[in-house]
Amino acid sequence: MRNPLTVLKRRLSEHREVRTDGGTTSAGSILDRDSVRSAPFWLPPFLLIGLFIYGAIAWNIVLSLTDFQGLGTPDYSALDFENYVVAFFGGTPSWSELTVSPIWNSAWNTVVLMVSFSVVCLALGLVLAILVDQEIRFENTFRTIYLLPMSLSFVVTAKFWLYMYNVETGLVNLFLGAVGVGPIEIVQNPDLKLAAVAFALIWQFSGYAMIVYLAGLRAIPTSHFEAARVDGASTVRMYWRVIIPQLRTATVSALVVLTVFSLKAFDFLFSMYGGYQPGPSADILATRMVREAYSNGNWAYGSAIAVILFIMALAIVTPYIYSQYKRGEL
Amino acid sequence: MSNKPTKLSRRTVLTTTGVAATTGLAGCSGGSDDSDGSGDGGDGGANELELLHAWSSGDGNAAIAALIEGFQEEHPDVEFAEEPVDGAARSNLDQVVLNKLQANDPPSTFQLWPGKNLAKFDGAYEDIEDDVWTDDLKENYLAGPQEQAQYNGSYVSVPLNIHRINNLFYNTAVLDEAGVDPTSLSSASDVVSACETIAAETDAVPFAHQTSGTWSTVQLWETILLGQAGIDGYESFINGNGDAEQVQTALESVVELSEYYPSDSSSITFTEANTMVMDGDAAFIHQGDWAAGAYSNEDGFNYGEDWGQVTYPGTSGSYLLNMDSFPYMANNPSPEATRQFLSYCGTAEGQVLFNAEKGSIPPRSDADVSALNQFQQDQYEDFNAADNQPPSVEHGLAVSPAVKTNISDAFSSFLENYDAAATADALTGAFN
Amino acid sequence: MSTETGRVGEWSLFGHSLRRVVLYSILVGMGVFYLIPIETGIMTSIINPASYTGSFPYLPPLEPLVPGTGTLSLEPWQGAIDGLGQGLVNSVILVVPATIFSGLLGSMAAFGLTTISWRGQIGIYILFVAGIFIPYQAVLVPLTQFWYNVVPLQAVFAPLATLPFVQEYHWKLVALIITHTAYGLPICTLLFRAHYKKLSDEMVEAAQLDGASVSTIYRRIILPLSIPMFAVVFIYQFTQIWNDLLFALTIVQFGDAAVVTQDLVGIGVSQSGTNFPLRMAAALLAALPTLLVYIFFGDKFAKGVAA
Repeated sequence: MRNPLTVLKRRLSEHREVRTDGGTTSAGSILDRDSVRSAPFWLPPFLLIGLFIYGAIAWNIVLSLTDFQGLGTPDYSALDFENYVVAFFGGTPSWSELTVSPIWNSAWNTVVLMVSFSVVCLALGLVLAILVDQEIRFENTFRTIYLLPMSLSFVVTAKFWLYMYNVETGLVNLFLGAVGVGPIEIVQNPDLKLAAVAFALIWQFSGYAMIVYLAGLRAIPTSHFEAARVDGASTVRMYWRVIIPQLRTATVSALVVLTVFSLKAFDFLFSMYGGYQPGPSADILATRMVREAYSNGNWAYGSAIAVILFIMALAIVTPYIYSQYKRGEL
Repeated sequence: MSNKPTKLSRRTVLTTTGVAATTGLAGCSGGSDDSDGSGDGGDGGANELELLHAWSSGDGNAAIAALIEGFQEEHPDVEFAEEPVDGAARSNLDQVVLNKLQANDPPSTFQLWPGKNLAKFDGAYEDIEDDVWTDDLKENYLAGPQEQAQYNGSYVSVPLNIHRINNLFYNTAVLDEAGVDPTSLSSASDVVSACETIAAETDAVPFAHQTSGTWSTVQLWETILLGQAGIDGYESFINGNGDAEQVQTALESVVELSEYYPSDSSSITFTEANTMVMDGDAAFIHQGDWAAGAYSNEDGFNYGEDWGQVTYPGTSGSYLLNMDSFPYMANNPSPEATRQFLSYCGTAEGQVLFNAEKGSIPPRSDADVSALNQFQQDQYEDFNAADNQPPSVEHGLAVSPAVKTNISDAFSSFLENYDAAATADALTGAFN
Repeated sequence: MSTETGRVGEWSLFGHSLRRVVLYSILVGMGVFYLIPIETGIMTSIINPASYTGSFPYLPPLEPLVPGTGTLSLEPWQGAIDGLGQGLVNSVILVVPATIFSGLLGSMAAFGLTTISWRGQIGIYILFVAGIFIPYQAVLVPLTQFWYNVVPLQAVFAPLATLPFVQEYHWKLVALIITHTAYGLPICTLLFRAHYKKLSDEMVEAAQLDGASVSTIYRRIILPLSIPMFAVVFIYQFTQIWNDLLFALTIVQFGDAAVVTQDLVGIGVSQSGTNFPLRMAAALLAALPTLLVYIFFGDKFAKGVAA
């Protein structure tokens, strides 16, 4: 059945391509009327995110250029990059009498946490997905259990793991004791703190990676598995050579989501250490930003750190969205 | 900040200077909310007193309720709009006040640690020397608390209670078993030796302490510093001229003590550490006197029999202060009622009502403390007999908020690595 | 693709291939890994605090029978309910409207940006998608400024406090509802758009030929077809908003309007006599709504997160 609208639609999509190539304008076409007619639907939500997300980001950028501190109000007439200079090099900013330390420590922790957390999550998720994909019984039950921690709040997870890491009664140390190690102080141990945080987050989110990979595996035609079998490849080789390369899309999308999750680990650290200061070994940009603004009252400086965090997120997300767009998957 | 109110038509003058002060600092707040600045939350008119505090549960809640009840007996026309803070959000109370001040909508008064901590809301207070700080108050508050009530030389707040930081609480049965006499200890290193004995003689944890947050350790260190460096050394430190060696020695004493903490100190809270003492699982705890509040609520755990307290060894003669106070905010939504309330907080009667529930002691030296329990009475006696009442670092009385931040940061590293030398550097550098 | 049992050359155990035995052992072992922190929490939460020793935190309290495990008691749960009660109520007041608004608006946005197709909509849509990945830190200070200093919401809201069940402090929850609605919109729109792209065009086209208006198409055709997706979106949003701490911390800040995650953070600090049974009971109580939703609608949740 070919009705005129389908034809029209196809024409529209052609139009769109023309436009991306370099802008033919066609004012007054049906398209414009559609955008207007559907405006009651998309415009209010768009204004809402425009105001609360993009408006707030823009405002935050401006705030980061002020000297807004403590009880004062932001003075928008004197904007400068002082807060960024302080963030990168330390020093005594004009809004304080004391020296302010740069962000390198927390930036480094952020990167370490981000990388270790995402990589281990992905690896574990992939292994689990492959195992679950072996036509096992009770597949649903296993899947449900693996994803269960993801339904919990960071705050709850932190409470559970604070208990797990307890030197005397924590299961982690009971387990270590059983294999003849420890007991080991974990929560305030500078060498283990960040790893302990990453481990708890991996517990919480590896199920997510599994779900994404499982969807990816199920999308691979059975014939690929069979073809590899006929070639006589071993299971490990088959997955390594044939299957895993086809999971690139799943990997990228899981990776992006996981990295962004790790940037949000503030809630976890706040709950674990009962406040804004988790200590230098576990301090990440997310905690530093909130601490500077909401605990120390250094609003503008906090905003500057937030902008840096935002740029980090943007650096990860923009290529992803762009490639999704290129492949027409948006 | 503002000038002293003149005698003419005080209320109008106060209000105007208040507005001037706040708009002065509010600068370009956008002005969209000027209209609600005066009338906010005040459907009940100027006699509704907006009081923000963090006593949301337990003894604190009972204490503020008793205080308000006592006040309302004298002033039945004043209503209260209270909003208590929950949980760990103590610092969020300051946050809310900041936001309200930025919006030109100050509360009548709120719970605030005074002293240098007053700098957090620099410019938002109003002098109450003439109205509230009468000669009666000036005579009956000791020098220490009186000084803490002032900001830049003017009286802006009324201290309501006194908490002591330099306590060493103990479980009598555990010390008996170990053969340790707490009154014989006279220095920080004596405490360490006592802990050694307790570890050898009993199964109990010698020194209950939590290290998941920094605050308990800052308190412990400042107490030991006061003991070792003396009042002069302590005051030099809080004035930014601390002797790095003294600071480091005190930290080293903390490191020695840390050997005797519960092994899971990093994942417990103060209340759990305190319970260990009550249950006989631990011998000592160093804490503010709020620790004793839990003891008096525990049946069969009696002061003098089952638990006791000594001034932290080495700090005798000093009463290391923490206190809560109520400041008078400029541009006050209920000027008259707030002044009446603060005056009441300055009376011995109000302070006894409050402190009977709170477990702390009245700041006035002329209070009739017979309504308080024996432990409080003993503390009160110590307080009045103390040679000096230095302000606490951890509670922000002794150092400005920004310095306090640096000190907390330094201790967050200390809890990870127990590096006394590096922490001493950070602490003396906290003032730069 | 799977290997059937009894392939030549494979070891077997009671008629099962060794390979399968190993496979299931790993799967069960991982199941234990994911469950044990929660299981330990449950067991600890029903121990009488006075009898708690912590020696066997993962065993149920069977004191007279098994020494060292503690005696059974619901006292920790009682304490948790006392400590978190108000927070739970506030969280419900927050979550229900915020979930519905973000779901509904997300569906509308996706409809306007997908089913009705027009030039340039992809640009708008990209702004929606990018919103998913914004770290909240990047907007916190402006949000606090906005709700406290720009919008006189508190003053506007004050007259409503005379209505039954409405308290003056609820204005903070209203601010939080609007904020969560805005920040939930991107993911909701994404989920609905994925759904709408799969719907056949024909019905919409036929309706358009019949002269149906855009809103009729939405109400009559799209909305009924969206119901399964609404379930997914609601469950996802419910979990996200219930679990959030950061927005609550910076917008509610403190006081009577504090939500359950805020109360949970504070429970060990404020409540005297805190102990591990109480902490675990509180953590579980705060997690209970999302756990229940997950247990009953786990498949829909999986769909939401996998999108």
